[in-house]
Amino acid sequence: MSDVAERVKKVTARVLRLDPAQIKLEHHFTTDLGAESVQSVELVAMFEEEFGIEMDEDAALAVQSVGEAVEFITKVCKEQGVEV
Amino acid sequence: MSQEKFPLVDRTEPNLLEEIFDYSLPPKIRFDGPVVEYIDGKPVEFDPQALRTRDIFITDTTFRDGQQARPPYTVEQMVHIYDLLAKLGGPNGVIRQTEFFLYTTNDRRTLDRCRELGHRYPECTGWIRADKGDFRLVREAGLKETGILTSCSDYHIFHKLKFKNRRECLEAYCAIVDAAFEAGVRPRCHLEDITRADIDGFVLPYCERLMRMSEQVPEELSVKIRLCDTMGFGVSYPGAELPRSVPKLIYKLNREVGVPSHRLEWHGHNDFHKVHTNAVTAWLYGCDALNSTLFGFGERTGNPPLEGAIIEYISLKGDLCGIQTQVITELADYMRSIGLPIPDNYPFVGRAFNVTRAGIHAGGLRQDERIYNIFDTTALLGRPPRVSITDKTGADGVALWVNEYFGLKGAERINKIKVHKIARWVNDQYELHGRMTSISDEELEAKVKEYLPEYWEKYKGKAAS
Repeated sequence: MSDVAERVKKVTARVLRLDPAQIKLEHHFTTDLGAESVQSVELVAMFEEEFGIEMDEDAALAVQSVGEAVEFITKVCKEQGVEV
Repeated sequence: MSQEKFPLVDRTEPNLLEEIFDYSLPPKIRFDGPVVEYIDGKPVEFDPQALRTRDIFITDTTFRDGQQARPPYTVEQMVHIYDLLAKLGGPNGVIRQTEFFLYTTNDRRTLDRCRELGHRYPECTGWIRADKGDFRLVREAGLKETGILTSCSDYHIFHKLKFKNRRECLEAYCAIVDAAFEAGVRPRCHLEDITRADIDGFVLPYCERLMRMSEQVPEELSVKIRLCDTMGFGVSYPGAELPRSVPKLIYKLNREVGVPSHRLEWHGHNDFHKVHTNAVTAWLYGCDALNSTLFGFGERTGNPPLEGAIIEYISLKGDLCGIQTQVITELADYMRSIGLPIPDNYPFVGRAFNVTRAGIHAGGLRQDERIYNIFDTTALLGRPPRVSITDKTGADGVALWVNEYFGLKGAERINKIKVHKIARWVNDQYELHGRMTSISDEELEAKVKEYLPEYWEKYKGKAAS
């Protein structure tokens, strides 16, 4: 598993107060992991902080699963010249 | 394949119907044909489009009916309110007249002080009992017009005024009107309780007599008729029967008795939540004057709200016509400051009239305020749409509040990701601490300072220091 995926899971676990080992790439943030509205916003904010990037609000909040988040963040890091 | 009856008109650009919903004005009320009302079994047409060109206007009774519902205003308060009414109605006299009691020294001093301001509109008129001696007060005050009580239902004629019969009542009223003519004062006969009166048996004969009497005097003295829906029984629905039908009452007096539109006035009460619509219906069917009070404050449930009539006037005319709408907010602030209670959800001026608590509405407002704001309330009322923060508001609402607070526009606006700590704090207030009230502006200001110090410093730091 990539480093990005590990870091995404770690942040997700911290924000949603879950065990990182229980989080899988196919999990949806809301339906599987129970993220509420404010937590979705917190997740985006924490991803930005973790990776040192800025994400488009609407696009970031449209991401539904952990795997999609990994892909999306990897793409944004590349666009913004952040090495991961 | 069968053809669809209602084929989709597909578009890639939105059709916002801006010919009606021009955001810079209250939305236009447009008509696309005549209104037909069956009266005495025959269809009668009314032309609502004539409202755009007819000289309809608003009259005010804040100082008379409005004052019957509260402790008296001071002279200073009334003079200030009068001054603001003049500013609101503008130079075209959209607020054409206001009426004053004349009985006490304070009443007369107020009237003098208001006239000393030199405003052409609202014209000052009087209000007296149906007592011949009272015309001396009107004359001494130098007023050209006064309202006089001439109640017209049998509830009043027999049970209140104790007349022996209708003839005696009619003759007594006509004698008062004659006294007004003799005093050189235009009488405005207030037909109290008209929506509970015998229209054919008393109202029409009485008004016909008034019109005949008016033929004997110069036009400026001719009788005006105020239709007083004293108990709020009037209804606007087509097909409703007399005496409750507003359309039929107006029609009978206007077209059958021949009272000209500019001498007809509707005065309503809100006992059945119909006060504003009934008043505008009177406009629609041929009565030019809509009598109202500021914020609808009047006897019992109140009168047509003046500010509602102002907004309706603009909607019907499609133009501001010289009206200064921001004065509505100024008047509300002033009335609150002197103790008039205005409910938070009251249209146009309540503290929460354009404040949303719902996160989904806050989200819409954040994208385009037109989605959840009735018109450009910032420009027209000095009241930008706002959000009241509760557990239902979410990060969208917090972001909207913060942007309004800092006055940020366009690309400067802060997205909801940046306010996540404040949104979390708000959520915890309810989820962890069981809070039951909304978050105050002061609390939010403190949190903005704590969690967004760079924005605080940039936009508030200098002003605060």
